Amino acid sequence: MIVIDKLCYYSKLRYVNASEKFIYSIITLLFCVVSRSIAVALLVLLANGILTVKKGGIPLSRYRKLLMIPLAFLFLSTLAIIVNISRTPLDAFALSVGSYYITGSRASLAFAVQLIATALASVSCLYFLSLNTPMTDILLVLRKIHCPELVIELMMLIYRFIFVLMEISSAISTSQDSRLGNKDYKTSLKSFGALASVLLLRAMKKSNALYDAMESRCYDGKLRVLNENYPPKANEIMYIVLFECFLLGVTIWRLLI
Amino acid sequence: MTSKQKKVVTLAAAFALCFGITPVVSAMHIMEGYLPATFCIAWGVICVPFVIAGFFSIRKTLRENRRALTILAMSGAFVFVISSLKIPSVTGSCSHMTGTGLGAILFGPSAVSILGIIVLLFQAILLAHGGLTTLGANTFSMAIAGPFVSYGIYKLCQKLNVNRKVSIFLAACLGDLFTYCVTSIQLAVAYPSEQGGIAASAVKFLGIFAPTQMPLAVIEGILTVIIMIGLESFALPELKSIGFIKEGKAHE
Repeated sequence: MIVIDKLCYYSKLRYVNASEKFIYSIITLLFCVVSRSIAVALLVLLANGILTVKKGGIPLSRYRKLLMIPLAFLFLSTLAIIVNISRTPLDAFALSVGSYYITGSRASLAFAVQLIATALASVSCLYFLSLNTPMTDILLVLRKIHCPELVIELMMLIYRFIFVLMEISSAISTSQDSRLGNKDYKTSLKSFGALASVLLLRAMKKSNALYDAMESRCYDGKLRVLNENYPPKANEIMYIVLFECFLLGVTIWRLLI
Repeated sequence: MTSKQKKVVTLAAAFALCFGITPVVSAMHIMEGYLPATFCIAWGVICVPFVIAGFFSIRKTLRENRRALTILAMSGAFVFVISSLKIPSVTGSCSHMTGTGLGAILFGPSAVSILGIIVLLFQAILLAHGGLTTLGANTFSMAIAGPFVSYGIYKLCQKLNVNRKVSIFLAACLGDLFTYCVTSIQLAVAYPSEQGGIAASAVKFLGIFAPTQMPLAVIEGILTVIIMIGLESFALPELKSIGFIKEGKAHE
């Protein structure tokens, strides 16, 4: 039901040590955001594309479609940055409306290109993490970096409950569809409301049942689950360090020019 | 202006119009990598006191009643699922609820700040809505500012004896609009306009997202009313069990 979650279990990089993947994507992400240079962005985009599609085995068409998800936001907000409304025309383009101009400058166009490149590269970092690492492994990493126990426990439970609730909601909406629950706008509003309220009702019932089940199995405030452990490999760490050093080099080089 | 320039502008306008009519994204998550590093850190720092306060209030509730753990977790999952469902919209496009208003009314603003940050993290990782670096900014607009306004309006309306449906509608709708304003201002502060600075930039961001956000806020308000009516008519015991998440205060 959640495409990214499904894909990450098929990934060939799934059994690579989770901390490695986590550190790689966070540091690369930081390089993208801090340096904001097009060269770094293109490099990162290329590296993550190769890693996710070639090494991870995520289909290219899927990957492209996933990269499109944030495009609407990207275009709308970048448009707001490029376009100015003022009395004086700027150098890149100007369209007169009455006594005002819809206008933009060359500098802001260049800035927009840079922004789009950075944002896309950052998204590719996020995808590298989420398309190759199952959520449970990410939670393990969070535990290692001493995120509060309560938050991790909540996250683990929420992650599991999301699928339970999604299954219920899809069953409800199927039965609503088969009973003409969405035949016009008014009924579909009503159906959505009914779906959401029944969903909350079911969720609360499930949570009570779950608590009873946990308590009958000696729940004492701590959830213990078995973890699979995949030790980090020396050559992978070496590649990551080399790549980050390379990025650092490119960043400094771009700063000096 | 040359004809080429005209073409560029027409194209840009067409783009804006297309996206204005068929919003693909609905909730205004600032995407990954869109904010400069300093702003990511600044918004993160602003969120910290709220998140810590939420954390302590949740821990206190859990100490008093362990059972709240599964209820809290279910509530978080509920907000996630509600925000991932397609809602009926007039234009036939794909849009989603934010769930901030509903969450604030049901669970109270302090619990929502913690649940919100977790839900936003899941949305970033599982749905690619929002991101890790922009988590702070998104948390402030969607899990702190929006819910606090919703909750405030809801309580104020209750004090003033406003009709229940109207107060729920106002809380959800205005909370949503406030979230959208905060996000626009966050973007404007990070990217001030060349002419007119932050204020002009804020107006531009507000204007460009208005066609998608205005109808959405109204729909969200209506849906929240329908959901709350549904819940109150056949789920009062469950609502009471949620009530104690709000630090012992029972619902109603």
